[in-house]
Amino acid sequence: MDGHLRDRFEQATAGDPGAPPGELALAAITEGGRIRRRRHRLVAAGVAAGLVLAAGGLTAANLPWGAADRTATPPVTIAAAMVPVSAPSCSQSPVEDHATDLAVFLATEATDRQRDAVAAAVRDDARVDAVVFESRAEAYQRFATLWADSPDFVAAINADDLPESFRLRLTDPEHDAALRARFAAMPGVAQILGHRCPTDAPVGGLR
Amino acid sequence: MTDTSTVAPGPAVWSRARRRTKEARDQEFTAFVEAAGTRLRRSAYLMCRDWHLAQDLTQHTLAKMYASWDRVRTSASVEAYSRRVLMNVVFDQQRRHSGSEIVLADLPDRPDAGTTGAPELRVTLVDALARLDVRDRAVLVLRHAEDHSVETVAAILGLSVSAVKMRNARALERLRAQLGEDFLNR
Repeated sequence: MDGHLRDRFEQATAGDPGAPPGELALAAITEGGRIRRRRHRLVAAGVAAGLVLAAGGLTAANLPWGAADRTATPPVTIAAAMVPVSAPSCSQSPVEDHATDLAVFLATEATDRQRDAVAAAVRDDARVDAVVFESRAEAYQRFATLWADSPDFVAAINADDLPESFRLRLTDPEHDAALRARFAAMPGVAQILGHRCPTDAPVGGLR
Repeated sequence: MTDTSTVAPGPAVWSRARRRTKEARDQEFTAFVEAAGTRLRRSAYLMCRDWHLAQDLTQHTLAKMYASWDRVRTSASVEAYSRRVLMNVVFDQQRRHSGSEIVLADLPDRPDAGTTGAPELRVTLVDALARLDVRDRAVLVLRHAEDHSVETVAAILGLSVSAVKMRNARALERLRAQLGEDFLNR
C-alpha cells in the first residue's frame, strides 16, 4: 500500500515545469548573501547572533535529529536551549507511552479561546490528577534561570518566543495514550511531552 | 601570498582568503542545490498547490540555508535540515497570508493553471492535500512523497513520534474520505 501511495504522490508532481538548478542556486546565493550581510551588521550593532537565528525561523543546525542522539552534549544553540528540561527525578528523555506526567505545549500563535478550551479540557478531565499552568512569563523566568550563565541567549529571547504550557499529573499511566490523543487533537496544541516521575516530582515532569 | 610583504599586511590577504572561502562555499552549496532542489520544489508544490509559489518558497528556503551554510553543512543531515527550513517557510507563509488558506480550502472548480491538461487524478490529490491542516499535510508529504521514516519526520517537524503517527493516520483517513477507498487500497 505504501508503494502505491508513493506513486500517487509522484504522479501529483508530474506537472513540474522544472527549473535549472544552477539558476536556483545562484538566486539563493544572492538572497542568502543579503541575509548574511544583514546579520553581520546586526551582530556588529551588538545584537546577539542568536536573535537572528530565532527570528529567521531557523532552528539549530546542530540540534540532534533523533531523540537517541540526545545523550551526547549538544552544542548550545537557541533552539536547543529552549528545549524543555526534564525534572531531575523523572525519566530524562521524554517517553512515548505510560507517562505519569504530561506537558502540553501550546503553539506560540494559539489564541486565547484555544487556550481556554485546552484549560477547560485538562481541568475537567477526571483522568488528570493535578494541573499547573505555565505562562510565557513563567517560562521565561525558568529559561533565564536555567541559562543565567549565558546572558547572550537570555537577551536574544523574549517571553513571546516561549510557549505556554499545561503541566499535568495523571491519575494512572494507563490513561497516557488516550489523554495525549485527546489533547493533541485540540487546536492550538503544538506538542505534548510525557515523562515518568515519582509522586514528589514537579507536576508535568519538567524543571 | 608572496606579494604580501610589499603590501600592507592584513586586509589584502584577508579579502583573498575570504574570497576563496566564498568560492568553496558556493561550490558546495550549488552541489547541494543540484542534488536536492527538484525534490524540495516538488514538496513545496505539494504543500502549496502552485508551482510559482513553490519555486519562491524553495528559493527562500535555500537562501536561508546559504546564509547559515557554514553551520548547516556540518549538521548530521543537511537533507533533513532543508526540509525543516522549508516547512517553517511554508508555515510562516500560511500564517502571514492566512487569507489564502481560505482560497486553498475552497473546492476548486477550475483546473489548476500550472498543470495544463493534467489528468483528473493529479488535481484531485493535490486539492485534497490542500484541504488538510498544514501540519498534517507536511506529515503526509514528508512521510509518503519523500519516504522519510516516522522518526525523521518527527525530528523535522519537532513533533513527537506518536503525534506524527496520529496526524498521519488522521490525514490518510481524510484523504480516503475525499478520494475514495481505492485511492489507498488499489
